Amino acid sequence: MMKDLVNGQVEELGKLWKNKRQLSFQVLNLAMIILSALMIWKSLMVLTKSESPVVVVLSGSMEPAFQRGDILFLNNQDDPIRVGEVVVFKIKDRDIPIVHRIMKVHEKPDGSIEVLTKGDNNRVDDRGLYAPNQQWLQREDILGRARGALRYVGMVTIILNDYPIVKYVLVGIMGLFVLTTKEN
Amino acid sequence: MNTFWTRLNAVFFFGVTVLLCLALLTATTTYFHKGLPEIETLSLNKIKSFRAQNKVDRAIINFDLTADLRPAFNWNVKQIFVFVTAEFSTPTNPLNQVILWDRIIERKDDAFIDLKKVLSKYGLIDQKNELRGNQVTLHLYWDHMPLTGRLYTHSVSKDTFKLPPDYITA
Repeated sequence: MMKDLVNGQVEELGKLWKNKRQLSFQVLNLAMIILSALMIWKSLMVLTKSESPVVVVLSGSMEPAFQRGDILFLNNQDDPIRVGEVVVFKIKDRDIPIVHRIMKVHEKPDGSIEVLTKGDNNRVDDRGLYAPNQQWLQREDILGRARGALRYVGMVTIILNDYPIVKYVLVGIMGLFVLTTKEN
Repeated sequence: MNTFWTRLNAVFFFGVTVLLCLALLTATTTYFHKGLPEIETLSLNKIKSFRAQNKVDRAIINFDLTADLRPAFNWNVKQIFVFVTAEFSTPTNPLNQVILWDRIIERKDDAFIDLKKVLSKYGLIDQKNELRGNQVTLHLYWDHMPLTGRLYTHSVSKDTFKLPPDYITA
């Protein structure tokens, strides 16, 4: 069955190559889909003022509320960060976003803040995670506040990251189908 | 073979659409739930220790807390995160908020809190040494962490007390 499927696809691709007009149509179709997705993502970034408007929870430090694989919708508006808010932050020069709660807020007269965070499920605060000699987080380290949640959907991203081959296979198959599907 | 893939396709995407609709419904109906918990007491019981440690002021307090948070639970609440904060103002920092104590409540039955002389989990620590004689307000916050949808927090401020003018060296 798989062989027939593959042969069928190869045949379709062959026919497509001969018909340049059809090929351009299908390629444009594919480009439309990709670019629309990109536009939606970028508009979300502008709306929420965050460089990362949707994050996947990677660790269990906020359990049982947020589990590995949940996705969080972030909002990075300029409202001041206050105690108890669930925020996503990155430590300077490190890539992994961390989702924890603000435990302490100290606000200076000019409005700048120094905060300390802690995961609900952790015994101690995050000082151990910060850079050496760093006692507090600044506003720039925070990517946004968690405003909403959607369960389990993030597992897809985690699988794609742990097994990168799945990424290539999926994208390949999707691209193939879009290129060879004909509107009859 | 054609029909197998088409059927699988249909079932899968319909399933995902249904799930998304349900999630959306759950999230929006939560807006209509007005849970008004009753916070009876949140007050200072005793200042257990108050001294300077590593060049910063640090106070540990005992407090009383009686609160009925059961009304805050609804069909979309995964857990309520309750915490007590101390808020104060110093010349260096006009606003300081620190969490003194927190608790995770997963079930409605566990949401009635009646505690006396609870020891705070985390110290009331200033960034400098400006706590002496300072006014501190205790607030109770409860954060609704949803199954799907919006996170929201309510809070209530209850007690204000004054820290002693000098360290307690007991």
